[in-house]
Amino acid sequence: MRNLKYVGLALAASLVSVFLWFNPLPSPASQPTVQVQTEPALSQVIPDEASVRVALQAVDPMGQPLSDVRFQLQLLTPAKTPWFTSDFPIVEGTKLLELNAKAPSGKLEFEQVMPIRGNYMLKAQVTPLVAGAFEPFEQSLKLSVPERFVKYRNAAILIGILILVGGVSGWIIGGDQTVQDGEIAPQPIRLLLSAVTVLAIAVLLFVNISAELASAHAREETQTTTTLSVQRSQDLEIRLSGDQRATVGRLASQTIQIFNAKTGNPEVNVIVNAKSIALEDNKQMFAYQGSTDDQGKLTWNEQFFDGAPHQVIAEVTPPNGVALQVSHEVEVERIEPPLYIRFISLSYYTGIFALSLLAGIWFHRRSSRSSILFSR
Amino acid sequence: MIGSSFHCEVQIMISSTSVWQRTKQVTLSLPVQVALLTSLCALIIWTLYFSTYPPVHDALHTTRHGTAAVACH
Repeated sequence: MRNLKYVGLALAASLVSVFLWFNPLPSPASQPTVQVQTEPALSQVIPDEASVRVALQAVDPMGQPLSDVRFQLQLLTPAKTPWFTSDFPIVEGTKLLELNAKAPSGKLEFEQVMPIRGNYMLKAQVTPLVAGAFEPFEQSLKLSVPERFVKYRNAAILIGILILVGGVSGWIIGGDQTVQDGEIAPQPIRLLLSAVTVLAIAVLLFVNISAELASAHAREETQTTTTLSVQRSQDLEIRLSGDQRATVGRLASQTIQIFNAKTGNPEVNVIVNAKSIALEDNKQMFAYQGSTDDQGKLTWNEQFFDGAPHQVIAEVTPPNGVALQVSHEVEVERIEPPLYIRFISLSYYTGIFALSLLAGIWFHRRSSRSSILFSR
Repeated sequence: MIGSSFHCEVQIMISSTSVWQRTKQVTLSLPVQVALLTSLCALIIWTLYFSTYPPVHDALHTTRHGTAAVACH
């Protein structure tokens, strides 16, 4: 009877442990945190397609929004994956964005195109604008971006073609290999090798001709207008400075500086709309609305991951005036993917073809052997 | 003397014929056929998906970005 009581107690304790394991009690946060929201939701983000709006909110341990906050943000791209490369291998394992921004309401928003799939790391350092308002803290947030479905679909189509062509070729060369007098190889095999050679020639021709046509179009499209990077109205003077030559994989710095046109003093807390546009497709890659600091400056570092020209634009709307806009063009040097990464992927696709070829040979020989056995 | 030179000529003819026979056997033997087809396939895939020659790269830029495990730029 006493033993039964102990067994009952042990059973109850195990049940409680199992329940707590699956439903942990909500633990109150002991320090302030950063909450992150994205639009669209991370599971629906399509890499290299449309920009993602990221909203950060600093909250105190009770979950109430913190005010008068300074964010120092770093957005890091997913780690290097040579065995299953993304389409931007140079971008893997680098910094995509660095922002140092004031947030009077404790909220910071920016828009950024995520170039590749994988786990991004958003490192946020939060400090108070008024010294001692709260303890500065750091937080790292993981943003998981899925792969584009179309990539798997296209890869499946390519693999399907390779299996089909490999299998049929294997079936042909797995047949009778007796060479007639004056022949170098049996007729079906000569036909097959000639057909694949013709296909290779056709591919090279197609690629070269379409390359000629594409480069003719590109020459027409690259004519862009250049604008001044200094604008002045009666009250304000805006200057845009920063790197006008950038490299894929590295951050490029951009600075907006606003002065009072009459006194020459820096203008503090002026709202600036900054964005960068990829000129090839006229696509917005980054956007941010921030305010100028004590020196009238707003600085951010961004990586131009798409190795093509970009335009950086900053717009200021004075309270009683016409909107002022400054912009400059950034030439971006693209870096070719490392040879070893391309060879790894080439070996996957060629390997699939070679395996299908061997499978085709094996199936033909097996079926021939079984048909001989049946005929006996 | 004449006999030995004749013998020598015959030997050269026999050996050249056997070399020709062996070359013919090896040129399109099954392993060579497999290697040829695989190399041609690798050449086609490399040209379409992995070459960095700018005009070739630009012509198939979207296809490269739209296929898994293909590094574009």
